[in-house]
Amino acid sequence: MVWWTIVIYIIISLIIAFLSRSGKQTSMESYFLGDRKLNGFVSALSYSATTYSAFMLVGLAGLTYKGGIGAYGFEIIYFMGVSLVAFFGPRFWLAGKKYGYVSPSEMLGDRYDNKKVAAVVSIFSCLFLIPYSAVQLAGVGYLLSGMTNNAISFTTGVIISTILAIVFSYIAGIRSVAWTDSLQALFMIITATIVVLLIINGLGGFGQFFQTLAAKQPESLTVPGNGFFSFLTFLGLTIPWFFFSLSNPQVSQRLFMPSSLKSLRTMLMGFLIFGFIYTIVSIVWGFSASIMFPDLENADLATPKVLSSDLVPPILGVIVMVGILAAAVSTIDSILLTLSSLIARDVYGNMKKEASERKQLQIGKIVIPVIAILAFLFAQINANLIAVLSVASSAGLLVAVPAIIGAFFWKRGTAAGVITSVVVSGLVVIILEFAKLKPFGLASGLWGIALSTILFIFVSLMTKAPEKKADEFISYIRSEMKNTNGKNSRQIKA
Amino acid sequence: MDSREIKWGLLILFIVLLGYLLPYTVFTETPHWYGSFLLWSLLALAIIVINYLFTRNWGE
Repeated sequence: MVWWTIVIYIIISLIIAFLSRSGKQTSMESYFLGDRKLNGFVSALSYSATTYSAFMLVGLAGLTYKGGIGAYGFEIIYFMGVSLVAFFGPRFWLAGKKYGYVSPSEMLGDRYDNKKVAAVVSIFSCLFLIPYSAVQLAGVGYLLSGMTNNAISFTTGVIISTILAIVFSYIAGIRSVAWTDSLQALFMIITATIVVLLIINGLGGFGQFFQTLAAKQPESLTVPGNGFFSFLTFLGLTIPWFFFSLSNPQVSQRLFMPSSLKSLRTMLMGFLIFGFIYTIVSIVWGFSASIMFPDLENADLATPKVLSSDLVPPILGVIVMVGILAAAVSTIDSILLTLSSLIARDVYGNMKKEASERKQLQIGKIVIPVIAILAFLFAQINANLIAVLSVASSAGLLVAVPAIIGAFFWKRGTAAGVITSVVVSGLVVIILEFAKLKPFGLASGLWGIALSTILFIFVSLMTKAPEKKADEFISYIRSEMKNTNGKNSRQIKA
Repeated sequence: MDSREIKWGLLILFIVLLGYLLPYTVFTETPHWYGSFLLWSLLALAIIVINYLFTRNWGE
């Protein structure tokens, strides 16, 4: 039954992916940004699918199982951080449209008037996002092997998702990715919610569900609870995720794609509603596992155990499981596409003077499977707690945030400031993660963001800013934003 | 950032701070659904409403 469901999922997705093809995909803008013509609804669903991945449904449920309600708080703080899109979304969008940026690092390179900036930021993004993709793949591996009692092995699960991610990126670039994402998101939100309703019902209803928790594991309903979510741990987990919408290029690149500001707004609001439901779903799964199976060895098995429990009809369990596989794929294919655009445009395109659009696109298409295979190899290193590793990648991407904020708001920012802050703080994060060090109890992300902010400011002040470009860029954004906001304030008064 | 953005931004920041502070102070001894769970849910809903109002005239 599992195999059949997987086959049906693949066939439907392939049909959707082929249908999404439109026109010739010969330019970078067309292949990677869908010609900046994505409608709001698809943008919203695809943004959600890209953000919420196997991490969410396997890792967050596992984190709830392990640490209790603090996992909910962690995800809600991330969720609140998506409000950054309300402030930076229109700015990215305006800049992308005016200057023709394909990737967020291209924007930084142009704004700080130095192509090395684009290349360095891109390389660091790859360094952190490949492990992140690996984490998604591992999530699928756990899920399939956990639910089928190893009938489908960890490695088979990982191979299936790697191949699908490559195929969905290839068929029509971002268009096939966005449409298959949307299908997955829509499908998942419905089936996952049904599962939650069944489980809560099976465990005696909402009131009883919480009463059981309060009676059996009261510590799971508070922080720091059993001690897992100490305040410093909570801070260390949440800060990198708060800035996720800016720091992660596979989502910030999405800010270039909507066809209008109205579509951008639909994307934001759609995501918020979707995200809120999805968060509650994952938490309930985690809590249900801790009620039904209090003695699991590995917290990441919480979701598979719940889905294969008596409370969930087998066919629904299988469908949702395949949905989670699709969730991992929908995240990885977006990351593949983004990283490929970074490498083709910002690394290769900046190294070679004569790199035409066509040539860049060619390189991009070669890069996609290469990255996928790297992630595949990474996934073979069985990660213990998916969420924690995933956050480590976020911590690393966080170091570009000062440069991104500075691009829009600080004329004195310089290329030297960006490069120093990204490289030095990025390396510090990597060292802390590898050595498993938490100086003064603070996690790597916190050190990363603090250090990169200080370095960005100090080095910028000591070097010469690209005044002309900075002036032109910031003034343009400011005047355009005034138009948007001007309209707003008039309407508010009226 | 104009004054309107700053006002909404500060409001969001305030809600985020509540999300950090209250669960670790007021609700540490409330192991019920009406403790941290409810608080975070309400704050998340507040964020949805705020984003809705803040962006309501985009693209018009």
